[in-house]
Amino acid sequence: MEEITSMLPIIAPLIVIQLVLMIIALISLIKAERTNGHKALWAVLIICLGYIGPILFFIIGRRQD
Amino acid sequence: MQWMTIFKKELLGDWRSMKWIWVPLVFILLCIMDPLMTYFMPRILDSVGGMPEGAVIEFPEVPPTEAIMMSLTELSMFGSLLIAAITMSVIAGERKSGVAELILVKPVNYFSYITSKWAAKLFLIFISYSLGMLASWYYVDLLFGGLSAERFFGLFIFYFIWLIFTVTVAIFYNTIFKRPGIVLAASVGTYIALSILAQVFANRSPWFPNNISSHIRSLMASGEVSSDLWIAAGVTVGISIILLIASNFSLRKAELAE
Amino acid sequence: MAVVEVRQLEKSFKGKEAVKGLDFELQRGKVIALLGPNGAGKTTTLRMLSGLLKPTKGTIRFSETNENEDIRNHIGFLPQYPSFHSWMTGKEFLIYVGQLAHLSKDEAQERANELLEKVGIANAANQRIGKYSGGMKQRLGIAQAMIHQPQLLMLDEPVSSLDPIGRREVLQLMEELKEQTTILFSTHILGDAEEICDDLLLMHNGKILESGPIKELQIKHQTSLLEIIIEENPETYIDRLKAFESIEDCKLEKGKLLVAVNDMDKARTQILQAALQEKWPLIKFELRRTTLEEMFMKVVSG
Ligand SMILES: Nc1ncnc2c1ncn2[C@@H]1O[C@H](COP(=O)(O)OP(=O)(O)O)[C@@H](O)[C@H]1O
Ligand SMILES: [Mg+2]
Repeated sequence: MEEITSMLPIIAPLIVIQLVLMIIALISLIKAERTNGHKALWAVLIICLGYIGPILFFIIGRRQD
Repeated sequence: MQWMTIFKKELLGDWRSMKWIWVPLVFILLCIMDPLMTYFMPRILDSVGGMPEGAVIEFPEVPPTEAIMMSLTELSMFGSLLIAAITMSVIAGERKSGVAELILVKPVNYFSYITSKWAAKLFLIFISYSLGMLASWYYVDLLFGGLSAERFFGLFIFYFIWLIFTVTVAIFYNTIFKRPGIVLAASVGTYIALSILAQVFANRSPWFPNNISSHIRSLMASGEVSSDLWIAAGVTVGISIILLIASNFSLRKAELAE
Repeated sequence: MAVVEVRQLEKSFKGKEAVKGLDFELQRGKVIALLGPNGAGKTTTLRMLSGLLKPTKGTIRFSETNENEDIRNHIGFLPQYPSFHSWMTGKEFLIYVGQLAHLSKDEAQERANELLEKVGIANAANQRIGKYSGGMKQRLGIAQAMIHQPQLLMLDEPVSSLDPIGRREVLQLMEELKEQTTILFSTHILGDAEEICDDLLLMHNGKILESGPIKELQIKHQTSLLEIIIEENPETYIDRLKAFESIEDCKLEKGKLLVAVNDMDKARTQILQAALQEKWPLIKFELRRTTLEEMFMKVVSG
């Protein structure tokens, strides 16, 4: 157990990155007027799919222009 | 002047669409994920237990020069997909939405139009890649042992040449196809086809762009830049320049309205 | 003075002819309407003039530009369905295209403010274009086309998508702009053309059927007709009317006598005199003019 806590500072960045990705994806989802696909569905994907959700949202969910 | 106008507009667009936040984060993730997992997985399994008594978990001995190569492996798989995805609508998107009808009726030089957009995406990718690789270097140094700056920057610069090539391929398809989805498919298809070709002719074509990675691997091992690496890098830069010029012709020839 | 001369202009899409040999000139300082029903080839023509499509055949010559000069310096274009970078503000977009048209940043800024004011969206200058209404986008579209003070302004159906008020305002705006530039605009509504154009190009099935100053066309297509209603036995008057040399034809339709004449003044006097002397039981005596409208309807309905 002790070893795991000592690993935390090193693993923490991974968790922070994931959180930041999730938050900015959600903000951008809320601000978007229209998305490709249903907003609620995207919210679920962003929250549940780890890194993949936000990335997918930014690439295919957001409407360019 | 016109070039800078478009370049700045692209940067602003990428900023407003949050690409300047999420793309660097994803690059960092891609670069550090594998080295971290390689280091921690066995240790986590060990400390959590659950392994039968007596089973010995081996901590694999990975030299730092190999640990840093893990970042490149990830970038070659997912990084190029990501690059194609963020580049797919740079020009095709404007043509599809119809903004190009407004922009290209202005006295815009096509080559400036293409290269400024190319440079803007490359800039975003350069910053993201730099952050990712520096983070990777930091962790490799911390977990696997020291890696000399010389080797790191050798790897850093030569691999960036491969990234330039990936962006350029996607830009080229932007001038051929009007649908971002098709640009993405064509770009990824090209990367895959090239890597298959590179494997088939591995021994006979050391100068092939895809072989940059394997030359970098020997650079890591030996500490010396082989002539094959120089040639492969030169060829890759050359092809990229040719692709940019071809893009110019292709866009000129294209009918810009539906 | 012609701004543009078009000769033998043709365009096919995969073998299908959309524009079939156009010849026309646009006179400097005029407002020219390109009128035609949907599918006539208006958009295709304007896109060729603006360089977005390459003609299959024929030439487009802009006068006052030398061979090597980029004609895009001198034209402004509003597409039928303009789209913008919706993440930009209206003002940012105008400054952007202004700089693309070789204005300095300061000039572009100044010009953007001026145009935002002129087209009436100054209060939305700093709003994202994504939030603009259709009418506001249309105005922004006109503003971006005018940013570099082009010699020729081309507008593809500038009022078709607008409600009556928006339509009124945009026509008003075009009226003001015509002081500064030659305007070529397309429409499928004759009323819009008649309202502000000097010259008309009537297009149908990829061809120009009529062209010229609208006043002349209106007169040319004004054939005169008399409508007469007589209380009893109108049919007995047909031969009597046909006897006048000023009258070409006469027929009975739903109880009305329709009289085609070649000399209106003479016909009027002769008929009224006869009616007085012979005591015709007249109910109605009316002069009717057919207009461009009827000619247009005839063209449109084939
Ligand atoms: N890109 C295209 N491909 C094939 N046919 C086209 C294309 N653009 C226009 N057309 C055809 O050309 C004809 C003229 O179209 P258009 O110029 O848009 O007419 P208008 O603007 O007068 O309504 C139509 O029959 C249309 O279907
Ligand atoms: Mg049209």
